[in-house]
Amino acid sequence: MHSSTTNVPMVKIQVNGQEVEVKEGSTIIEAFYQNKIDIAHYCWHPGLSVAGVCRLCMVEIEGNPRLQIACNTTVTPGMRVSNVSEKVKDAVKWGLDFHLINHPLDCPICDQAGECGLQDQYMKYGRNDSKMGEAKVKKHKVVDLGPRVVLDSERCILCSRCVRFCDEVPKTSELGIFNRGDRAEVGTFDGKPLTNKYSTNVVDICPVGALTSRDFRFRQRVWFLKDKETICTGCSTGCNVKAYYNKEGVFRVKPVYNAAVNGHWMCDDGRDIYKFVNRENRLIDAKLVSGGKTEHMQPMELAKRLGATLKGQGASVALVLTGSHSVEEYEAIVSYFKNDVGTTQIYHWINNPDTIDSFDGILIRGDKNPNTKGLIEVLAKNGVSTQWKSLTDSIGTGAVKTVVVAGPENQALFPDMKVKISELSKAAKLVWMTAGKNSELESLTGDVALLPLKTYVEKPGTFVNHAGLRQKTQPVTSIVPGALSLVEAVQLFRGEELVAKPVQEGEKPNEIGKGRVHNEFTLTRGVW
Amino acid sequence: MFKLSEEGLKYVKSELTRYETKQSAIIRSLYRAQDENGGWVNHDVISHLSEVMEIPAAQIEEVATFYTMFNQKPVGKYHIQVCCTLTCGMMGGRELCDAMMKEAGCKEMGDVSADGMFTFSKVECLGSCDTAPMLQINRDPYTENLNMEKGLQLVRDLRARGKGH
Repeated sequence: MHSSTTNVPMVKIQVNGQEVEVKEGSTIIEAFYQNKIDIAHYCWHPGLSVAGVCRLCMVEIEGNPRLQIACNTTVTPGMRVSNVSEKVKDAVKWGLDFHLINHPLDCPICDQAGECGLQDQYMKYGRNDSKMGEAKVKKHKVVDLGPRVVLDSERCILCSRCVRFCDEVPKTSELGIFNRGDRAEVGTFDGKPLTNKYSTNVVDICPVGALTSRDFRFRQRVWFLKDKETICTGCSTGCNVKAYYNKEGVFRVKPVYNAAVNGHWMCDDGRDIYKFVNRENRLIDAKLVSGGKTEHMQPMELAKRLGATLKGQGASVALVLTGSHSVEEYEAIVSYFKNDVGTTQIYHWINNPDTIDSFDGILIRGDKNPNTKGLIEVLAKNGVSTQWKSLTDSIGTGAVKTVVVAGPENQALFPDMKVKISELSKAAKLVWMTAGKNSELESLTGDVALLPLKTYVEKPGTFVNHAGLRQKTQPVTSIVPGALSLVEAVQLFRGEELVAKPVQEGEKPNEIGKGRVHNEFTLTRGVW
Repeated sequence: MFKLSEEGLKYVKSELTRYETKQSAIIRSLYRAQDENGGWVNHDVISHLSEVMEIPAAQIEEVATFYTMFNQKPVGKYHIQVCCTLTCGMMGGRELCDAMMKEAGCKEMGDVSADGMFTFSKVECLGSCDTAPMLQINRDPYTENLNMEKGLQLVRDLRARGKGH
């Protein structure tokens, strides 16, 4: 499936009268999927093994008297396949009717409504009254599968995607289908919680409302959310994601397929990092504390005033950077400090030096920054090489009088935040630019300036991941309107005016990585 | 905590090498463990097998809950499985089952009698219609060509045998 080997011979087949080419050894459903031709299916998923249990991907193959399932039939040269014949439609209709026998039809209170495979297929193939006169089988509802996943067994159609996911991706095999026939239910052995680091992916791949995300459920109807692609800034892997947002902020992120970065998946920690971008966790006001006096003002105003005091101050000013920002921002601010301020006292704050090189073998990396590579690149290009110790030493001796800190963007990933605040606030003057609110920073009494920054969803930028892959993102939405990106801050430092460029609806999709195709479940589930 | 006997462990290990995939050995191993655990399997049994066989517990539980031959509740010393499918049913299998249960002191299907001797289950066709009505005790060979009298005598004999041991 989507293998990177290029020397596999191609096979020509006909799908619904249209000639398509697929790699030899592909299945019929892959021919449909790769050529974006609709086919009903629940259990097949491009990132998992074939189960062949939902019986919905029926196709008619010319010369074959019986319908076949497309997910488990290999293509042969010249094969003529159709899934639009009356025979296929009838088979899908009946397949769907069987799936719905014990389904509770509780769409009005189901969190999956609007992105549900059953709804999608029903509108296409069903639209009939159920022929089932028997009472529906009662099963377990609102089961805590784990800290992140909630199960409703009555809605489950036993496609086994979640079971296969746990077997094949995190290889933890917590889930199984227990009992038989209409009593069969998904569950964990002995009620053990589903705690693997990738558990929320089962919510994404569940084609119905059986598995829902504890974090997201009941917070928004999906049709009230817009989505835009960006990347995950939770670690140096740089998973491609879609952020779902409305005017109140971001509500969830889901992975977007990129073979070169994250495949179909993302980790659970990455699902949480959208939280820091929302207004309730943000630094809103620019604040200047000087000589015992506190002034609140617009961020732009503060940036202009700071620029005037920083210019030409030379080596008495030090800049601290984290791996949270984009290459463009690093270039702007490093160039400003080197050329306008006249200092090469630029330091890289590494948040977790002990675990920075760790990797769990799937996606999670110990470097909890999206752009450490980018920062190192820009520092090297500008000939900056410094050791953290010399900063603390020069603060101690008074050689450095002003410390300017940019970041971190997501403070939760910086366990040493407190330590660094107390260390750096020993400088005579502290300028801290960050996106999140922080009570320690806000209660500092010395000579302190706080400048709110934008987060990764509010600005364009390039991030270099652990493998050196450059991924460019576009803004998703605006959450704190006054906040600045480092590029904008530098413009203001220099006394230039900002040219407003509001986030436009329907801006062209982000160009992230190469070889990206839409996952079925991040578009409309079940059909794509 | 349940643990397989030394011999049982040897058996399970040899089953593991018999098939192309380890999963194929689950049914035979579960049977063995069920016998050693007094006729039923619980989470302890499955956890132990999972450790011994190096197969995720969920996969063993899937098999144990799928097949009715694995009892998920304790059973009596004699688990009497009476066939009540078509032929046996027509030949009085159900009435036989009810009468034997009464004799054995079992109120409901699946109950263990007060003396710990009996559990009754109605089962689907065991493939011996020519000898209807018939039943199977534990995993022993079938007891066939029954009638009411023979059935009741069987319960009495088993009780005597069970106490004798």
